[in-house]
Amino acid sequence: MNERTQLKKAPLAWRASAYAIMIAFALLTVFPLLWLGYSSLKPNAEIVKHPLALPQAPSLRNYVQAWTMGGLGISLLNSFVYTIAATASTLLLALSAAFGLAKFPFKSARFFTSAFAVGLMITVHAVIVPLFLLEVRLGLINKRLGVVLPYIAFNLPMSILIALSFVRGIPDALIESAEIDGARYRRIFWGLILPLSGPVVTTMAILSFLQHWNEFLFVFIFTTKAALKSLPVAITQFAGRQNIEYGLQYASLVIGILPMICFYFLFHEQLKKGFGEGALKE
Amino acid sequence: MVNARAKKRSYLSFVLPAFIVYVSIMVFPVAFSLALSLTKWKGYGPIEFVGLQNFAKLFSDPVFLIGLRNNVLIVLVSVFGQIPLGLLLAYMLHRRMVRSSKTFEMLIFLPITISSVIVAQLWNRVFAPVGILPTIVRQLTGNAEYVMTIFESKAFAFVPIMFVLLWQHTSLYMVIFLANLQRVPDSVIEAAQMEGAGEGVVFRRIIAPILAPVAFINSILAISGSFKSFDLIYSMTGGGPAHYTEVMAVYMYNTTFVFQNYGYGSAISIVIILFIVAAILLTRAVTKKLNLE
Repeated sequence: MNERTQLKKAPLAWRASAYAIMIAFALLTVFPLLWLGYSSLKPNAEIVKHPLALPQAPSLRNYVQAWTMGGLGISLLNSFVYTIAATASTLLLALSAAFGLAKFPFKSARFFTSAFAVGLMITVHAVIVPLFLLEVRLGLINKRLGVVLPYIAFNLPMSILIALSFVRGIPDALIESAEIDGARYRRIFWGLILPLSGPVVTTMAILSFLQHWNEFLFVFIFTTKAALKSLPVAITQFAGRQNIEYGLQYASLVIGILPMICFYFLFHEQLKKGFGEGALKE
Repeated sequence: MVNARAKKRSYLSFVLPAFIVYVSIMVFPVAFSLALSLTKWKGYGPIEFVGLQNFAKLFSDPVFLIGLRNNVLIVLVSVFGQIPLGLLLAYMLHRRMVRSSKTFEMLIFLPITISSVIVAQLWNRVFAPVGILPTIVRQLTGNAEYVMTIFESKAFAFVPIMFVLLWQHTSLYMVIFLANLQRVPDSVIEAAQMEGAGEGVVFRRIIAPILAPVAFINSILAISGSFKSFDLIYSMTGGGPAHYTEVMAVYMYNTTFVFQNYGYGSAISIVIILFIVAAILLTRAVTKKLNLE
């Protein structure tokens, strides 16, 4: 850190434009969200008359109405069920696969590893039609399992590659000494690999939580019942239906955004780390 | 030696569950999709084999061509908008050109957690007649009737979407570049400064080349992401009005799930994948030629 003080400061023109760009970007990010937030506290007539003004008598009435009319309570619950079930299964499957591929001396490990790597190129749209037909045939449409399974599969390739690079770094000697002590591999996995993988598991969990929570297409296509929709899908459909009820639209959107802003401030550092190290887009 | 078979069994018990899920949900359907793309099928009744007809039809289908054009626009806004802007923002933050750079970084990165469909709905409200933008324009110009009409313009309807894409993803590249900049020792910049290099020269001649491989990998991600774009556009315009904002994935969705043209829809999916693979190969070839790697 001492070195940094020896660097010359950037010239004024650069600093001035830096301020201009940063402030513009920050405003573009924060202002629409703030506006949505305070407008959601206004009655509809006030929104139409003074779109940018602060609420005269802030009220949560829009929220109560949006919450009950949109059935957002059940959607919030669904989002938690989908996301937690899919994230936990992805982590477990990815970590155990990574353990097998990294620490067992079998030739087929190479084949499996490159097969998983190909998965990074497979897009949702390439499989959605056959998968839909398959789920219809198997009776998985309108079942929570029918949503969670594709969530897991689509997260596996990236998660396995992240886990693999971590598990490879665990010293073989640790595993060998456990083997000599007569521990079964299942015990080695649960008692040694899993606890040691704490940091990478956190990163993987946060990234896959984010991806699962915001997923749209699978829920949208594989469920038709309102009671099975996730929060983003329910809110999009609800807000899209309210033609002129702006207050309700705004309130429902805030309900969709607020949990993710909390998530962002809670896990900001891990998100930065996870994405910064070259993870995924969408 | 004694328990070699037991070892093999354990190995498979670790690897196979993930592999089975992966193959049955991702690999098998891709093959199925390829087969479907050669057929004409309504989702019921007999399946008619039509060879490559669907693909031939695609490239004279005006709606598909609009979709393709818009996908190319998304590629351009990603590679020439999001990535350079992200790099510039990262450099400015890294060189501490603004006070409280942590706060700026935190605010700018925020959209990353918000679901694309909700981002789309948010911006629809900003652009709506009672939204932020038309209201500000009304107050500035005194024209009390002003509403945005750009969405009805054939040539420019896609512009607001490109803006939202820039808003949504630039900060992702900023964070990626920032993480990589932190690995560049300060002495590199210091040495250049001692030789009298100005800020612009340091940025263009020192930092940009160091980060070129990172930018390259991110271009691949951006391009494949661009051809897949669905959520944001589906939620913002659904491809309308009159297909002005159509993209391939939205067209594929409507063809298959709304109009039940399973064969034609699958052909579009296959074309999307081919574009992604082609874009990756092309980027790789160009980069090799420019000697960036």
